[in-house]
Amino acid sequence: MTAPRAATADLVTGVILFALAVALIYGAWTMDRLEIRQIHPLTAPGLLPGLLGVALALCSALLIAGAVRARRRAAAAGAEGEAAGDGSPGNLAVATGLCLAYALVLVGWLPFWLATSLFVAAFIAVFEWPDAESGRARLVNLLWAAGIGLGAGLAISYAFSELFLVRLP
Amino acid sequence: MQGLQLFFDAIVALTSVQSIFTAAWSVLLGIIMGTLPGLTATMGVALLTTLTYRMGAEQAILALVCMYVGSIYGGSRSAILLNIPGTPASAATTLDGYPLARAGRAGYAMGIATTSSAIGTVVGIFFLAATAPVLADIALDFHSYEFFWLALFGVIISGQLTAAGSPLKGYIAGILGLMVAMVGMEGIHAHVRFTFGFSELAGGIGLIPAMVGAFGFAEVLNVMYERRAQLVAGTVDRVLPRIADVWRYKFTALRSGVIGTFVGVLPGVGEDIGAWASYAAARRLSRKPEEFGKGSIDGLTAAETGNSAVVPGALIPALTLAVPGSAPAAVLIAALFIHGVRPGPMIMTEQPMFVYSIVAMLLFATIGITVFGLLLTRPLLMVLRIPRERLMPVVFVLCVIGPYAITQRMFDVWVMLFFGVVGFLLRRMKYPMAPLVLGIILGELMDKNLRRGLSLSDGDLSPFFTRPISMLFFVVIALTVMLSIPAIRRAVAGIGRRFWPSARSQTR
Repeated sequence: MTAPRAATADLVTGVILFALAVALIYGAWTMDRLEIRQIHPLTAPGLLPGLLGVALALCSALLIAGAVRARRRAAAAGAEGEAAGDGSPGNLAVATGLCLAYALVLVGWLPFWLATSLFVAAFIAVFEWPDAESGRARLVNLLWAAGIGLGAGLAISYAFSELFLVRLP
Repeated sequence: MQGLQLFFDAIVALTSVQSIFTAAWSVLLGIIMGTLPGLTATMGVALLTTLTYRMGAEQAILALVCMYVGSIYGGSRSAILLNIPGTPASAATTLDGYPLARAGRAGYAMGIATTSSAIGTVVGIFFLAATAPVLADIALDFHSYEFFWLALFGVIISGQLTAAGSPLKGYIAGILGLMVAMVGMEGIHAHVRFTFGFSELAGGIGLIPAMVGAFGFAEVLNVMYERRAQLVAGTVDRVLPRIADVWRYKFTALRSGVIGTFVGVLPGVGEDIGAWASYAAARRLSRKPEEFGKGSIDGLTAAETGNSAVVPGALIPALTLAVPGSAPAAVLIAALFIHGVRPGPMIMTEQPMFVYSIVAMLLFATIGITVFGLLLTRPLLMVLRIPRERLMPVVFVLCVIGPYAITQRMFDVWVMLFFGVVGFLLRRMKYPMAPLVLGIILGELMDKNLRRGLSLSDGDLSPFFTRPISMLFFVVIALTVMLSIPAIRRAVAGIGRRFWPSARSQTR
């Protein structure tokens, strides 16, 4: 991540964390103090959450201040914000999408072994597709993906349901 | 003497065909886990916890300890062959291991890494056996005030030492972890906090789903995001190091073992810092510092001994205070509770044999990494050739089914997903994960003891600052926080230069 982008990320995170801190302080302040049970006021359940909210507010304010200073320095130095990243956002988006689709949709909707087989096979096929240079190589990759997917689906299902006695989702 | 007797009793009790088999497969699995970039020791221990919860307590804990030792050691393989640390613990190993591999001495580097890891673990084991009972005895004098400061000390010191260049991000990660621990029913008045109507949150957020997410799913995303690496060597030279070679670096190994163990004792600091601290000390004291970073055996020995010694070191506070010395130790504490073992100051009273059982398990693991490390170098090279596209979906499936298996509810899978995405984002923005983990595990200790202490003193804050151990913790915490502020650090350095001007000229 380049310095200006890191500073911007810190600024956005700082603002989100500050909002979280304010919400936490509000939640702690309005939390039931259990006066009806005649407890000591300093043992109220909201004490530590409130203190954590204050600490987070302080830290996020310092983070924001540091990020603003870093952005100014970067602007003064004329640093570029569009330098190439150190990874592949496309790969990340596809991997996240496949993982979330598996965990939130396929599991519970299809039998576990089938959901797992489909997910593993799809994951391998999608990421190995660009590597293949010919149609035949793609076909071989797809067969490998299907084989590994089916093997993983059956083996993991068997291990958890028969060996660890887990009722699969 | 009684300790020695208990140690031998523990070895005898543990020695069985079943234990040897368990140690063998779990060490091997750990080495494979550590070898593969992206699969960390914490992830390995967390995933294995979900697989071992139906096993007997002794065998399950043996498997987890062996996985922990194996994966920390296994990280050296990819550090040497790919220039990518298999686990963060092996980051310092890349500096000299990779140049050695490029010079055609990959096998030799792996052999030195193996013997150094074994020596480091043995040094740590010695300190674990010698100091854990003493520390547990001291901890019996801890009251609510001391436990509150201990929990805060853990989060602060972890935040300070694990955030590269920005303690503020370490502190924020620690606070976020403590906030997570505030969710659910609190331990004094049984009041339910921050559940927002979700009954599943009443019991709090489970450590294992959170860890599997933060270290498992987040790593899957990280590995798929980053670029691929190439193996530097497909074949290896002589692996078995000569005894003379090991003997030549005996002082480096011993010093790094002691440094690593000490770093391990510090709450939540972890193996990577142990390796870096040992490496820095070795470089400073070396007769040939110019060779460091270019294939120095001294440097490789220091890094590998240092990170391996952290493992037993991290278990010292984990067993005696229930405060983990590293992220994998935090998961191990959760696993101990699952298996009915209650770590803490009472452990030497309630289960005096248990600490020595852990020592014996670590010894089994050390034998395992030595044997597998030296004999299976060539087969283990195959592991590095597994394409990430084929490995990561299987790891993710285990991340989903693992947390589900413990409680049999999909809610824990959602928790895992949430922590995975948040963990990935935080890691990309250089927030360390160790303080977050420590916050989750120490939150309850801090909350209960703050309020219990205030209740006992009828609202009087003075016992938090006047009792000797409390005062010591307070002073260390205050100094740590103050010295993380750049202006104060500069002022202290200025005062130092004023009184010791020679120090300035030496450091130039």
